[in-house]
Amino acid sequence: MSDKNMNAQNADLFRFIDRDEISSEKITAPRYSYWRSVFRVFFRKKSNIVMIVLLVLIFLGSFLLPLVWPYDPMENVLDAKSFNLSPAKAMAYYNGENPIKWCLGTGQLGNSIMYGIWSSARTSLQLAIICAAINMTVGIIVGAVWGYSKRFDAVMLVIYNIIANVPYILLISVLVYVIGSGFWPFVFALTVTGWLGIAYFFRTQVMIIRDREYSLASRCLGTPVPRVISKNILPFLTSVIVTLLATELPSYISMEVFLSFIGVGLSASVPSLGRMIQQGQTAFMTFPWAFWPPVIIASIITILLYLLGQNLADASDPRTHM
Amino acid sequence: MRKYMLKRILFSLFSLLVVVMVVMLLVYTAIERSSIFQTDDVWNKKSANDRVIYEYTMYSKYGYLNYVDYTNFIKSKYTELYGADYATSKEFIADKAAVQKSDWKDNESVNEFIQKYGTQGYKLRYLEPLKYKSGKTKPGGTGYLIAIQEKNVVWRLLDYIKGFITAENKNMVQDPELTDRYVRFEKDPYSGAFAIVGSGTQHKYLLYFDGRFPFIHQNWLHLNLGTSYTTYRGQEITSVITNPTGELKSKSQQYPLMLGTDQYVDTAINFHSLTYNTGVISDVEKSQFPDKYTVYSYNRSGLSMIENSFVIGLIATLLAYAIGLPLGMLNARRKDKLADKLGNAYIIFIMSVPSLGYIFMFAAIGTSVFKLPYKFANAAIPILAYVLPTISLALPQIGSLMKWMRRYMIDQMNSDYVKFARSQGLSEKEIYNTHISKNAMIYLVHGIPASILGCLTGAIITETVYGVPGVGRLLTNAINSHDNGVIVAVTVFYTTLSILSLILGDVLLAKYDPRISLNADKGGGR
Repeated sequence: MSDKNMNAQNADLFRFIDRDEISSEKITAPRYSYWRSVFRVFFRKKSNIVMIVLLVLIFLGSFLLPLVWPYDPMENVLDAKSFNLSPAKAMAYYNGENPIKWCLGTGQLGNSIMYGIWSSARTSLQLAIICAAINMTVGIIVGAVWGYSKRFDAVMLVIYNIIANVPYILLISVLVYVIGSGFWPFVFALTVTGWLGIAYFFRTQVMIIRDREYSLASRCLGTPVPRVISKNILPFLTSVIVTLLATELPSYISMEVFLSFIGVGLSASVPSLGRMIQQGQTAFMTFPWAFWPPVIIASIITILLYLLGQNLADASDPRTHM
Repeated sequence: MRKYMLKRILFSLFSLLVVVMVVMLLVYTAIERSSIFQTDDVWNKKSANDRVIYEYTMYSKYGYLNYVDYTNFIKSKYTELYGADYATSKEFIADKAAVQKSDWKDNESVNEFIQKYGTQGYKLRYLEPLKYKSGKTKPGGTGYLIAIQEKNVVWRLLDYIKGFITAENKNMVQDPELTDRYVRFEKDPYSGAFAIVGSGTQHKYLLYFDGRFPFIHQNWLHLNLGTSYTTYRGQEITSVITNPTGELKSKSQQYPLMLGTDQYVDTAINFHSLTYNTGVISDVEKSQFPDKYTVYSYNRSGLSMIENSFVIGLIATLLAYAIGLPLGMLNARRKDKLADKLGNAYIIFIMSVPSLGYIFMFAAIGTSVFKLPYKFANAAIPILAYVLPTISLALPQIGSLMKWMRRYMIDQMNSDYVKFARSQGLSEKEIYNTHISKNAMIYLVHGIPASILGCLTGAIITETVYGVPGVGRLLTNAINSHDNGVIVAVTVFYTTLSILSLILGDVLLAKYDPRISLNADKGGGR
């Protein structure tokens, strides 16, 4: 067989197609979605699923249970015999009537501990989510600009040095005195300077990335500043943001507990874990059932939030996506 | 370097001033001042004019304003003329009654008062007597004439700075009866050594030795951070935190006039603390003291508030570094093995559980399992009272140090110098203990001064839970009782410590890592 013959034969196997300018520009690689990879890595760990289920249960419990189990800390305030009853005594005192309500005993004013922890957990979760949302948003936006602009940096450093040195407890106490201690005033007190620490932390991170070569190149090509911040710098810091969130969320729950303990917490009309712990701690050796349930529920919430946040932060680091 | 430090210190002083001003603005103007009467029983009992007067006396006590009462004015006026018998003099009685009448402006003393304070910028206020139709005075309805001057923030700040440091001199006591004024070396009968003794000074012993740490003491220079109005009535905050606490400690001593005789009494008086008595000297005091230095404090068995906090904090910090760093190194070396997993579990526990929760847990375990004393004051053996607070403070610090040491060591593990060391045949132990840990420590060195100086500020929760008489609750107590002087004092104290620890941290960092230069002009090297 000659070559010519073979060419003629093979020519039947081929056909001409149109030249496609657009697809020749594309690189064929498997589609990569950042967030899909994050969640793939995240859910690879079975323990994460267990923790999420637990957390969802606690969320549902604390947002739905108070609707069917309304908590009134003052309901038995006139009945001194109902104060500080252990779980067994409380159930006996109420003749087995509504046993779930009294299964954890009563507090120092005859309040139901079981109903109390769920209503209080709702307040704590709301507080944590709202404060974290406000502080993180403001902190990251200000921090990004702060780290990027040197002129802004000089001004902000002076402000930071001054405000960071005013004792935090003092600031919150004064604010609570001035604007009251309801839920929203308390949120305001926690957020009015709370973002500053986050912004400062974020500033340092941005400064590290700011002078990397790719960012410098992008700037040389004339990319406007907002685009440099939002496209070059922030995506690089996703895992830092998630790590920060993992420590921030539980910290507000601990903060509320601490502030209630020193006497500048939420007002008595708002049920909160901090207040329950504060009331329980005065006699925690004699009436342990009033102290440990709110501590345990607060600890479970904070541990779950912290662990899930840390794992999500690990998963959001692109180096783990291989 | 020197120029940099100077600039740094000046800037720190500036920010300290601004912080004090911000805090003064917060406590004196942002908080509604009438809130100090919320829980005041005396205020509740008073009514009408008496209540107004009570409010003004309290405001001036808390440092909001200067306030002069007409009665006090005539009191001092006639004391000059008649001495202690002023109250029975006719003029005094007549002048005092003047403000109860409708023609009060015709009185000579009243006009003197108005003239004097009106020109000094005071606001004058006349509270008319409230009477029933029968002419009887209503309850609390006595008439008053007062002069008030509001303090503004700038003046308050200047006054504060002016009184910040005072040095004693022999003309400090204003008493015409005291003629023999001196400051000289004398033999100290209470310690056997010599002492610097003053007459005309506020304190009698200006410099002396005794058996209490640090063995040499001085009363010469005073740092006046602020005065307490409510929590520690009338005391300066520096002496509140440095005076010993605990029970009185008596021993066989002699009063100054007994010296040289063989008379001894059991007393807890600290004779080195004698200060000048500007009031009246009682007959008993005259039989005990040769001069008017008759005001004293007592020897007490315990440490002072700041010593308590510092001892607990310092031991906890040292423990934390001694345990936390090696554990962090171990976790990094055994990454993902059992030891690391256990360490991580501990770190997560400490980082996420509210501190109140685990401190009470430590307290419950310590008292029930190890039979350690719970409340500080109830400890049978005093030294054991320090154990639980120290451990409660150390355990969280260990967790945090472990976390960072592990993190930084792991970050360093893939560095080129580690690979190089390995290729040169160094053992893993050598690589970890000398090379990686040294580089990881760079990040931790900066925090060491802060954690040591931070011990001086005390720990709020730990000290409250165990009832330790420390400085941790100073600020919160002051805030709750509107003790404005203490709030400002504590803020100055905290701020100074935090600024100082930042500067020391930077210096330490530059000393530890020679690559780091403190001079701002980067890239230029020296």
